[in-house]
Amino acid sequence: QEKFTLRLAETWGPNFPIFGEATKNMAEMAEKMSDGRLRIRIDSSNKHKAPFGVFDMVKAGQYDMGHSASYYWKGKVPNTLFFTSMPFGMTAQEQYAWFYYGDGMELMQEVYEPHNLMSFPGGNTGIQMGGWFRKEINSVDDLQGLKMRIPGFAGEVFAEVGVSPTNIAPGELYTALERNTIDAVEWVGPALDLRLGFQQIADYYYTGWHEPATELQFLVNKKTWEKLPADLQEILRISMRTAAYDMLIQSQHENAQAWASIKEEYPDVQVKQFPEAVFEAMYKANQKLLKEAAEGDELASRIVASQEEYLKKSRAYTDISERAYLNTMAEVE
Amino acid sequence: MRWIIKLDEGLDRLATFCGWVACLAMILMAANVFYDVVARYLFNSVSIGMQEMEWHLYSVVFLMGIPYALRADGHVRVDVFYARWGDKAKAWINLIGAVIFVLPFAYLIGTYGYDFAVDSYKMGESSGDPGGLPHRFIIKAVIPFSAFFIATAGLGMITFALRVMSGEKSYEVEHSAGGLA
Amino acid sequence: MIGIIMFGVALVMLMLGFPVAFTFGGVALFFGVFAEGMDLFAFMPFRIMSVMQNTVLMAVPLFIFMGVVLQRTRLAEQLLTSMGRLFGGLPGGLAISTILVGALLAASTGVVGASVVAMGLISLPVMLAHKYDKRLSTGTLGQIVPPSIILIILGDVLGLPVGDLFKAAVWPGVVLIGLYIIYILIMTRLKPETAPAMPEDPTRSRKQEIVSALLAIIPPLALIVVVLGSIFSGIATPTESSALGGVGAIVLALIYRQFSFKMVWDSAKDTVKVTAMVFAILIGATAFSMVFSYTGGDYILEEWLTALPGEQWGFIILAMLVILILGFFIDFVEISFIIVPILAPVAEAMGINMLWFAILIAMNLQTSFLTPPFGFSLFYLKGVAPPEVRTTDIYRGIIPFIAIQILVLALIVVFPEWFGMSSTY
Ligand code: NA
Ligand code: NA
Repeated sequence: QEKFTLRLAETWGPNFPIFGEATKNMAEMAEKMSDGRLRIRIDSSNKHKAPFGVFDMVKAGQYDMGHSASYYWKGKVPNTLFFTSMPFGMTAQEQYAWFYYGDGMELMQEVYEPHNLMSFPGGNTGIQMGGWFRKEINSVDDLQGLKMRIPGFAGEVFAEVGVSPTNIAPGELYTALERNTIDAVEWVGPALDLRLGFQQIADYYYTGWHEPATELQFLVNKKTWEKLPADLQEILRISMRTAAYDMLIQSQHENAQAWASIKEEYPDVQVKQFPEAVFEAMYKANQKLLKEAAEGDELASRIVASQEEYLKKSRAYTDISERAYLNTMAEVE
Repeated sequence: MRWIIKLDEGLDRLATFCGWVACLAMILMAANVFYDVVARYLFNSVSIGMQEMEWHLYSVVFLMGIPYALRADGHVRVDVFYARWGDKAKAWINLIGAVIFVLPFAYLIGTYGYDFAVDSYKMGESSGDPGGLPHRFIIKAVIPFSAFFIATAGLGMITFALRVMSGEKSYEVEHSAGGLA
Repeated sequence: MIGIIMFGVALVMLMLGFPVAFTFGGVALFFGVFAEGMDLFAFMPFRIMSVMQNTVLMAVPLFIFMGVVLQRTRLAEQLLTSMGRLFGGLPGGLAISTILVGALLAASTGVVGASVVAMGLISLPVMLAHKYDKRLSTGTLGQIVPPSIILIILGDVLGLPVGDLFKAAVWPGVVLIGLYIIYILIMTRLKPETAPAMPEDPTRSRKQEIVSALLAIIPPLALIVVVLGSIFSGIATPTESSALGGVGAIVLALIYRQFSFKMVWDSAKDTVKVTAMVFAILIGATAFSMVFSYTGGDYILEEWLTALPGEQWGFIILAMLVILILGFFIDFVEISFIIVPILAPVAEAMGINMLWFAILIAMNLQTSFLTPPFGFSLFYLKGVAPPEVRTTDIYRGIIPFIAIQILVLALIVVFPEWFGMSSTY
C-alpha cells in the first residue's frame, strides 16, 4: 500500500503551547490510525520563516497542509474573516454546531475553493479575554485616543468607538505596555498571556467580547487531498476534527490553571467588564461594520446572514440551558 | 572593448539610480518614524497606514541598497588573502563569483519573487489591519525589482572586472572596499 | 549531512574574498538546487518578506544613520575625545569611553547589528586617528552585553516573564563591562603604545581641561540621553527611538552650524551602503539556513542534543559547550528556536532554575556574534572599518573579549549567587 508524507506549515513557533500541540496531536492520530501510511511532517515558523505566508505556501503546493487562523487572510481574501470568531458572535459550542450542522463548512469551502484550498476547523481557544489595560475604563470617553494593540476586525470596531489601534512588534509589546507607549494589549487568554508577563505590568484584565470562540484552521491543498485514497482522506478528516475538539478542552484546562496562578501570584490584578455604554457603542459599531462588509459581496452577505440566523436560534436555547444553569449556580453559591 | 566600457558605464548609472532611490527612502523613513512618534506622543493620534509605511520604506532602503552596494563594493569580504592579491586575481574572483553566485541567485529570487508579487496582485491583497495600506503587491514587487538590479549589478561586476583585466581600470582607485567616508 | 558539507564548502569559499553575503547565497543555491530542486527557492520571497516585516530590524538603518550623522559632523569624535581627555594621562581612555558609550547604546537598541555598526562608525576612526592599535580598537567593539532582543526571544521560547529576564541580566552585564574596562587598563599598563593617552594641552591647566571636556561632552551625551530617555519614558519604542536619535543628530548639527543638505544626503548614502551590507548578509544567511534545515540539518542537530547526559553538572557544561560551538556556525535565532526547546524540558526536569539557565544561554549566545567564522558582528565590523583594518586584525582583536565573556559565563555557572540567582529552585 502506498505511503504518504504530507508537509504541514504552522503559523506558530516550535513547541508553541496549546496551538502547536493541536497540530502534533493531529499528526500523531493520523499516523496511528493509518498504521503509518499517512505521515505528517510539521514545520514551525522558525523553519519556513513565513508565519503569515501559510495561506500562499499551501495554495502554491509548497506545503500540503497548514495550521493557522482564517482571519489572518482577510487582507488577501476578505471573506476568510468570518471563519475564526466574530465580535459579539457565537460561543465555541454554538459555532461548532454552525460549522458541522449548520452551513458553516459549506460556506467556508465556498470561500477557499477558488484558491485551490480546503479549510477545516483547527482547534478553539475558547473565549478570548478582552485585554490588559493599565487604566480603568469607565465610559466611552475613556476610550478616546486610547492606544491599544488590537489587530483585525476587532481593531476596526474599537477604532469606530475612538480607540487608536496601534501596531507594535510582538518582541516590543511588553516594554511598550510597561512604559505606557501603549495603554492596552489584547492577546489571547490567561494561559498564553501569562507567558508574555502582562500581569506584571497591567492591573486590569478585561473580559472578552471580540473573539468569543477563536477557531484555528487546518488548511489542505486540494490537489494533495485528491491524491489521497478515500480511507486516508477519512482518517485525516477525523484526526483534524478530533484534534480541534481536543484543543478546546485543553484551552479550558490550561486557562483555568493559569488563571489560578495569576490570582495567587498577582493579587493586584482585577478582572473588569466594560461598562454597558461601552458595550452598546461597540455593538452598534460592529453591526455597522458587518453591514458594510456584507454590502456589495453576495457571498459575504450570505455568510453574515447565516451566522446571524444561527446565532439567534442557538442563543435562544443557550439562554434557557447554559446561561440559566450558570445563573442558578451564581445564586446558589 | 569599447562596447564593454559603454555597457559598464550604463550599468554603473543603473546602480547609482538604485542608490538614489534607497537614499530617498532612507530620509523619508527617518522622517516617517519621527512623525509617527511625535503624532502619537503629542497629539495622541496613531495611523496604522503611516506605521505600515515605515516598513515599506525600510524595505526599499535595503532592497534597493543591495545592488547599489554591490557596485560601490560596499559588501564585506573576508580579505585574509584577497587583500594581498593583485588586480588580475581580484578581477578573476569577482568575475567568476558574479557568474556563479550573483547571477543565479538573482535569477531564482527574481523568478519566484515575480510569482509572489503577481499572486498578491491577482488576489487584490491589502493590509488586514484597520486603516492599513492597500495594494500590497507594490511592496512585494520590490523583491523581483531588487533581484533584477542585483543581476545588472552582477553584470556590472563582470564588465568592471574585464576593464580591470585589460589594465584600463584598477580596484584600488574606483573601489575602496570597506570604510565609508 | 548535506548541511555539514555545505558549511565546509562555504568556509573555503569565504576565504577567496568574494562578498560574504553572495558567497552564502551562492553556495546555498548550489546545494539547495542539487538536493531539493529549484523549487526550494520559492520559499525565498517569503523569507525576504519576513525580514521586510520585521520592524524591530528597522532600528538598524536608523541607528546607522544617527551614527553616520554624528561622525560626519565630528560630534562623535568630540564626545569620545573629550571623554578620553577626562582620563587625563591615563592610557586607554578612548577605549574605555567607547566601551561605556557602546554599552549604553547596546542596552538601549537591543539589536546587536545596530549598535555594533553604529559604534564602529563612530569610534573606530577616532581610535585609529589617535594611534590606537588596530586590534585593540576593533576588539573593543566586540564588547557586548546581553541584548534585549535575545532575552525577549528566550522569554518566549522558555515561557519566562521578560521583565524577570531583564532584571536578571543586569548584574552579568555590569560585571562584563567592568571586566572589559579592567582588561583595557591592564593591557595599557603592559603595552602603553597600543592605546596612547590623549595628548595634554600645555597651555591649559588640568582643571580647565576637565571643564572644557565636560562642556564638549554635554551635547552628544544629551542626544544619547534623549534616545535612552525616550525609551524609558515610553515616548518611543526602542526601534522608534533610533529615529529620534537620527533627527536629534541633525538638530545638533544645525546648532553647531554643521548642517547642510549635502551632509544629510551624503549621510543617507553611507547609511544605505552599510544597511545594504548588513541586510545582504541576513538574506544570504537565511538562504543558507533554509537549505541547511530543509536538507535535514535540523534533525541531525536534534539527534546530537538528545544524547546529552542526564546529570545536572554534566548536562549544564555540555549544553553550554554545544551552544558555544554551534554559535560559531549558526545564528542565534536558529539556536534559540531549534536547540533551546530541546534542552529546556531536560533542564526543567532536573530542577534547574530556568531563569538562571536562560541567562546562561543569553550570555552564551551573545558570544556567538563574535566567534569566527560566522560571527555576524565580525562581518559588520569589517564592513564599517577603514580599509587598513584586515579581517585577521578583527579576528585577533576580539579574542580577549570572547575570553572575558566565557569567563563571566563560567562565573555565573559556578557562583550564581554572586549575580543574585540560584542554580536550582
Ligand atoms: Na487575540
Ligand atoms: Na558565531
